Amino acid sequence: MSDAWRLPPLAAVLVAVVLIVCAEAGGASMVRFRVELTRWARGVMLAHPEVHGLVGVRDVDERILDEALVKFDAGLRLFHLHAEGMGLVILATTAVAATLARGRRVRGVMIVLLTAGGAGYPLGYLLWSWLIPYHGIERGKSIAEWFVWMPFGGATIVALWWLAGLVVLRLARR
Amino acid sequence: MSQGKAGTERWAAARVAANAAAHGVSGSAEYDDEVRARAVYSAEAGLSFFHTHAEGLGLILFFTSTVVASAVPWRRARALLWGLLGLGSLFPLGYLVYGVAALELGRDTGIALAETWILTPLGSATLAGVLGLAVALAARRRRA
Repeated sequence: MSDAWRLPPLAAVLVAVVLIVCAEAGGASMVRFRVELTRWARGVMLAHPEVHGLVGVRDVDERILDEALVKFDAGLRLFHLHAEGMGLVILATTAVAATLARGRRVRGVMIVLLTAGGAGYPLGYLLWSWLIPYHGIERGKSIAEWFVWMPFGGATIVALWWLAGLVVLRLARR
Repeated sequence: MSQGKAGTERWAAARVAANAAAHGVSGSAEYDDEVRARAVYSAEAGLSFFHTHAEGLGLILFFTSTVVASAVPWRRARALLWGLLGLGSLFPLGYLVYGVAALELGRDTGIALAETWILTPLGSATLAGVLGLAVALAARRRRA
């Protein structure tokens, strides 16, 4: 077998690059539309006082709103950070899988898990941010966890352990 | 950054004092302390952003330019994408300017200068580069 690196399928590379584009656009939008985003989130939270436990006393409510807005901003930042990182993780790990996995099916499943898991996981942070004004910090986090972080993060973890096992196997056979 | 934190804070505070007019320092100790703390915080944030973005963009340049070399078959498109990605990889330097300008020109003016003249153009170059790469990959996939 050749020592040269093999290019992963074009579709996986495209997903990774589009994810990096989304991360860049997200980071830029976060800075450019900071005021508008904060105003929107605050407006939605004020429209759902029962969700956030707002009592109508300014001193109490402002503290609650501030905490939720910090988490809202953190979700956007974490999306930017994870989308940049996972784009690179997809490129690197699918290249390793394309190079080291011999069976066509094994290679295919591994690359699908790495690509889908890596691309889906960061979207959980975007979803969490969007959910915070409507459902609160904890409920928003719980929804994002069940619907995005666990399935997509799980796919990435399974594929990475599988890949690690494959590399160990290769080393042992040398 | 972590070893030199105390020194950086002292230097930043000294620069605020040296550019008192730009920072709107009033002579009221309570107000001035607040102004100084915000300016020093911005300078430290600039350094911290420089660190994280330089680490990340170095890797992004490395991987995306490798993908360009491997997967974009058109010579001129490759050169254009490398140019954009290479230029965009200088983006983190904008955060160094951000930190220094916030101290020299006043917090808001300095940050606005770095954002308008350095971070936005270089960030746009990166965005155009990766977007161009996505379009090139989609075009190649369609042709295949």
